[in-house]
Amino acid sequence: MKAIGKFFFKLVRTIVVIYAVLFAVFYWDLDGKFLYYIWEPLMVKRFDNMKRDDTLKTPYTMKDNVE
Amino acid sequence: MKISFKDVKAKYRELFVVEKSPEEKNKPFDAKKAVKDFWYGKPHEERRLGDLYVGNTGLYKHREWRGVKDTMYYFNMIWLYNYAHMVTDIMKYGDGPKGVVEFAKGTMRYRWMGQTYLTVMHWFDRGLEGVRGDALKASAWHYRGMVSETIRQFMRMFEADKKLHGGEENELWKKTIAHNETLSGNIFYGWRDQLDDVALEMIPYFVSVHVNNHTVLNYIDAAQSIGLPADPCPMCQAEYGLFVQDDYPDYSPVMLTSNEACDGSVATSVLQDWFLNRPLYAMPQPMRYDDPLVQEHCQKEIEGAWKFIEEQFGIKMDWDQYVKHAQSFNKLTEFEWEKWDVAANTPYYPITGVAQALYRIYYSQDGDRPIWHEMDAHVKAIMDRTVKNKINCFPKTRHRAIAWSCAPLYYSHWCTWAYNCWGINTIINMDSLMFDQYLRTDTYEHALEDLSWFNEKAPMRAMAVGGHEHILSLFDYMERFHCDMVIMYDQLQCKGMQGIHGVFEDEFRKRNIHAIWIPHALPDKRTVSRAEIRDIINDYMTTVMREEPLDPTLLDFDDSMSW
Repeated sequence: MKAIGKFFFKLVRTIVVIYAVLFAVFYWDLDGKFLYYIWEPLMVKRFDNMKRDDTLKTPYTMKDNVE
Repeated sequence: MKISFKDVKAKYRELFVVEKSPEEKNKPFDAKKAVKDFWYGKPHEERRLGDLYVGNTGLYKHREWRGVKDTMYYFNMIWLYNYAHMVTDIMKYGDGPKGVVEFAKGTMRYRWMGQTYLTVMHWFDRGLEGVRGDALKASAWHYRGMVSETIRQFMRMFEADKKLHGGEENELWKKTIAHNETLSGNIFYGWRDQLDDVALEMIPYFVSVHVNNHTVLNYIDAAQSIGLPADPCPMCQAEYGLFVQDDYPDYSPVMLTSNEACDGSVATSVLQDWFLNRPLYAMPQPMRYDDPLVQEHCQKEIEGAWKFIEEQFGIKMDWDQYVKHAQSFNKLTEFEWEKWDVAANTPYYPITGVAQALYRIYYSQDGDRPIWHEMDAHVKAIMDRTVKNKINCFPKTRHRAIAWSCAPLYYSHWCTWAYNCWGINTIINMDSLMFDQYLRTDTYEHALEDLSWFNEKAPMRAMAVGGHEHILSLFDYMERFHCDMVIMYDQLQCKGMQGIHGVFEDEFRKRNIHAIWIPHALPDKRTVSRAEIRDIINDYMTTVMREEPLDPTLLDFDDSMSW
């Protein structure tokens, strides 16, 4: 019984800590700051340097004249 | 590079510390008021929302404290709820946990995904800034619907995408219809049980600009880099720029395009025909769309599209499926009319101008999907409550505005700012009033007739390009929605709307209407910045209306680098 109580206490404590950390992330806009200062510059670098197919080499086709 | 403690302290202050105004610093501490502000949130005039921004980034030093109830609602039911549901949506639409892998592959492959959509919670923040109570709840449900439907669409694209699967044409690729974003989803109801239809540019271009306007500039520049002209509508430039940059997912064996809204879209259609190099059906809509002589032609075009799908996929159109989805979509239309009624005739309408505009244009273009019904049920419950209890959702309203013509995509949330700063409450907008068409399903002929009308009433056709005889219906709607102000969008690269500019100037003068012209270039923030748009409204409100701002910190701030 005591072990179950201890487990629940630990569980509740963990949930409370996670909830508090998430609230701090939310309140101080840490998600936005991470995405703006870290994630987006990395993505810009990645996409600017990405090798892509040259779509301009796609062949043109000519259709038959419409009667 | 050496970083000193002083540098760290300065960065900390820049990112997290809200500087108090000199008056606030000199005020004696009032414990009772502090407790009241903590519990209920500060009164509108004391919020100083402009002080919360970090430089020109649009980020917040801290998110707004809206009082205990609304802050906790925002944290639990908007921020946490949406982040969590984004993950579950990715798995739901991506066929289980493997959806996460597809999502990661798409995020790493496409700029419009990797750079753009992860910042989605800031889209909520911008649109819901300063909003409280039932308006906060109802507007957030609109955003939730749009996010979920966006995830559904890009997950379908990623799962079917040849580019993400080593060039393999998988089963989903063979069962997906790609179409232009201005071609309505309701055309494809007859195959919804066997095929899926996903608009090609809706997610990579249109929605992305609202969420993060940085990405689209690459596509506009790419279009111009191959010598295409810079003066057509930048929407069309961005749409074909996706192809020039090879940033479009290849998820369908066919393509259906449209000339909607204008000749710029004709160019998009032509360029897509080249780049996609696969069977393509162009479904044009006439400029003089309500001429009785063109109706039969429009209906034949729709039937032509149906025949094209039948031939390409070898699947007959299922009339029962069409009826089922058209009738279901009519339920959305009925609720939209109910919303308009409340917005027009009461102060109890709980939806912000930006949520109203984006949600309406999104679902009516997209067609019948379960998420819209789910969201409407939430919003209906809230709206019924505000009407029953006579809750004024925007109590600081000084002016009831109608927004007309096409909005700046990079600043669709200007109306949230206008309410917070000046008490200008945008009740309704032109895009919301399009697609105003019930779909009859009693006979095939009626169904085709109404479907044709529905598509002719598409954005920018019904009341803008091609609908010049209808655009002055602004004044009827102004009366119907009891508005005393017009926010007139001035899309600088829309030749159709530019041509009618002078007529509006004359009409506004003749009718003695307060109208504020907002110039913009649709998705391209470089032509007219957000700050310039605010300056124009500020100037009008101070010099013509001679009013004082509700929140002076919102008059002048720099958000040039914001999403």
